[in-house]
Amino acid sequence: MTTRYAYILAGGLGSRLCLLSERRAKPAVPFGGKYRIIDFTLSNCVNSGIFDIGVLTQYRPTSLNEHIGIGRPWDLDRSHGGVQLLQPAPGTAPSDWYQGTADAIYQNLMHLKRRRGDEVLILSGDHIYKMDYNVLYAFHRANHASVTVAVTEVPEKDVSQFGIMETEPNGRITAFKEKPRGPVSSRLASMGVYLFDRDTLIRLLVEDAGIAGSTHDFGKDILPRLVARGAGVFAYRFPDYWQDVGTLDSYYEANLAFLGERPPLDLHDPAWIIHTQSADRPPVRFIHGAAVRHSMVTNGCVIAGEVSHSVLFPGVVVAPGAVVRDSIVMHDTIIGPGAVVDRAIVDKEAVVGAEARVGFGDEMPPNRACPEHLSSGLVVVGKRARLPEGIHIGRNARIGAQVVEADFTAPVPAGGVVDGPESMH
Amino acid sequence: MRNVMALILSGGGGERLGVLSAERAVSALPFGGKYRVIDFSLSNCCHSGIGHVGVLAQHAPASLNDHIGAGRPWDLDRRQGGVVILQPFQTRSHAGWYRGTADAITQNWDYLEERRPDRVLVLSGDHVYRMDYRALFLAHEQRGASVTLAVTRVPADQTRRFGMVTMDRGGRVRTLEEKPERSAASHASMGIYVFEFDVLREMLRSRPVDLVLDVLRPLVDAGERVYAHEFNGFWEDVGTVASYYRANLELVQPEPRLQLHDSRWPILTRDEERPAVLLSGDASVEDSLVANGCVIEGRVERSILFAGVRVGPGAAVRDAVVMADVVIDGGARVNRAILDKYARVGEGAVVGDGDEPGPPDLQWLAGLVLVGKDAWVPPGGRVMRPASIGVGGRYEDFIDGVLPSGSVVGNRRWYEELR
Repeated sequence: MTTRYAYILAGGLGSRLCLLSERRAKPAVPFGGKYRIIDFTLSNCVNSGIFDIGVLTQYRPTSLNEHIGIGRPWDLDRSHGGVQLLQPAPGTAPSDWYQGTADAIYQNLMHLKRRRGDEVLILSGDHIYKMDYNVLYAFHRANHASVTVAVTEVPEKDVSQFGIMETEPNGRITAFKEKPRGPVSSRLASMGVYLFDRDTLIRLLVEDAGIAGSTHDFGKDILPRLVARGAGVFAYRFPDYWQDVGTLDSYYEANLAFLGERPPLDLHDPAWIIHTQSADRPPVRFIHGAAVRHSMVTNGCVIAGEVSHSVLFPGVVVAPGAVVRDSIVMHDTIIGPGAVVDRAIVDKEAVVGAEARVGFGDEMPPNRACPEHLSSGLVVVGKRARLPEGIHIGRNARIGAQVVEADFTAPVPAGGVVDGPESMH
Repeated sequence: MRNVMALILSGGGGERLGVLSAERAVSALPFGGKYRVIDFSLSNCCHSGIGHVGVLAQHAPASLNDHIGAGRPWDLDRRQGGVVILQPFQTRSHAGWYRGTADAITQNWDYLEERRPDRVLVLSGDHVYRMDYRALFLAHEQRGASVTLAVTRVPADQTRRFGMVTMDRGGRVRTLEEKPERSAASHASMGIYVFEFDVLREMLRSRPVDLVLDVLRPLVDAGERVYAHEFNGFWEDVGTVASYYRANLELVQPEPRLQLHDSRWPILTRDEERPAVLLSGDASVEDSLVANGCVIEGRVERSILFAGVRVGPGAAVRDAVVMADVVIDGGARVNRAILDKYARVGEGAVVGDGDEPGPPDLQWLAGLVLVGKDAWVPPGGRVMRPASIGVGGRYEDFIDGVLPSGSVVGNRRWYEELR
């Protein structure tokens, strides 16, 4: 078997995730009680037998670097292959910040050229799905394709957020429209999963680098150009669950979907484990008086209060008399005695003071600072924020990372904003 | 501590643990929802800065080999030092099982001689406790001791389980009695010894069998500098069903004396990747430890659930230790029981019914039901307390769906039936 290798594009800003990706790359955003978003793609790779992976990072890579490390949880700490983090670096031509997804690969052309094997798998680190890439390879080879794009059907209302493809019955792509504004005849969206013929890819990247005005992006430039030339570009229709958790609302919904009777993905499947970096934590401790229903709770949590319809990441403490409802609470956050957290996303290591009310009242004006992303009633609390005892926080509020008790001078109204200290950069 | 090597004695087959140690060493017994018993000693070594550990294993060593591997969870996968499993072996001139604790060390003396640590720390792999061995070494050094043993206070009615120690005011050991019926001593030896390398080597020349009877006691009697160092924390030898059960249930007390949720001294273990615990709309869990991978649709009280346990709708689990991947089907009840890995309790079955004390020769069951690995309690079946179901137990072991109080069912393995 030829050695297979993949590149994971993990540089994106994820600006629609608001606070959650303000200080970390979107693929590093926690998901599903213990994972990071990129774990799904990384696990797909190793579960498909791909053990040579380059991760292209650019935006705030620290948390990703820390998470992936030498790749041990995925058995990627290997003498041959393994995982390599590819940051943009000055000093060699061509060199600069990655201008687009294609440019990111182009700038690592030497890395690519050192690899053998007929195909190059290019993935995105932003999506929640379980996929056996071997099926994609088989499809690609059967069609003698130059490129195969994995696609999934999306609802009509969402087509404008994706790259939409029109296809012939045999799967051949006849048109590729990146985030189309007008009406389209297809609802097949690109999943950001591309399998390229290696030589074709190298040729395309070199060519694209020389085109003035190109944004050097696979979806905007490379693929439409290739389709227009009538090359063998095929769509592989992925039949199972695939979720882009690009917005706060879709992130929230996707997390809570795992609490239902029929979760979208089986996380318990021993044949397709989603691997992640997990610290050694003791089992969940349920104290006398705890009441936890319809929830996911992870090792290291200590629960004395009430939790319903919520996802709790490792090490969360819910004090006696506290209530957590319809919420996502990340690592090591403490919910103080008698506090109520309702429809909120609370980032890591935050402290909610005793008797505080987070997500309160019926008013729902959109958030003042990011009205387009925070308007469905969720409250977002940033990493290491400290909320004072008894504080009331209305819906659609945004509490910045690292705010302290003294930053609150009055109750936070619905749609309100409390900003923490500016990030150092 | 570069010049120290720890030896963890993990040879014990744990006869008094019945079916739980049928296919594993006591040290490899699951404990506390995700650990193995030996994790406590290994983690103590790791946090005390001891980077060279030998594990002396004899009974069912595969379970330990598998768990410890190259020692990565404890940062013992090292070029220098690290962890090594020392099993009985053959040479051209010699072959023999370990006859006892001292013999196990003697048989591996070549290994120690090559490394020549200044001191040897002898530990047991069967104990559950959190201890900073640095305090022990400090006391040992300050007193210029040849041997220092860790001791702890035990109740007067427990003396027959331990080596009892009396000391003078300076901590020097005066007497050492092995498992006396009654004793004036209030302190028990914890089976934790610091030896000066040369002192231990000298003592092993006479090919002693037992470390306490043939090495320590002669040293005390000869007036050697043997000192005791008192330890005040929680410590339990889990070599019996009663003590194993008690130590597990200690973890779900309102104020547990053994704290797992302390990030300064985490108990490290080899962990499988499992998703978060999932609790359904009807779940109810109190006073319990539940590990990742569990799916709870019923009621759980005062219990320890290891990874991947499933508790079906309407099922109730009380005062139980339930090991990894056990399935408790809907409507079943489990009460005062220890269920080993992969066991299954069928729909509506009851495990741990009744309240009979059981025959005197089953005192070791401590009034509990033990369900062996892979055993299957049929739907609607009833297991009366106390009882023990062997590894792979199944429907044929029941009489009209009932397993009476006092039953001890042997192990069944398909490959044994081939013999």
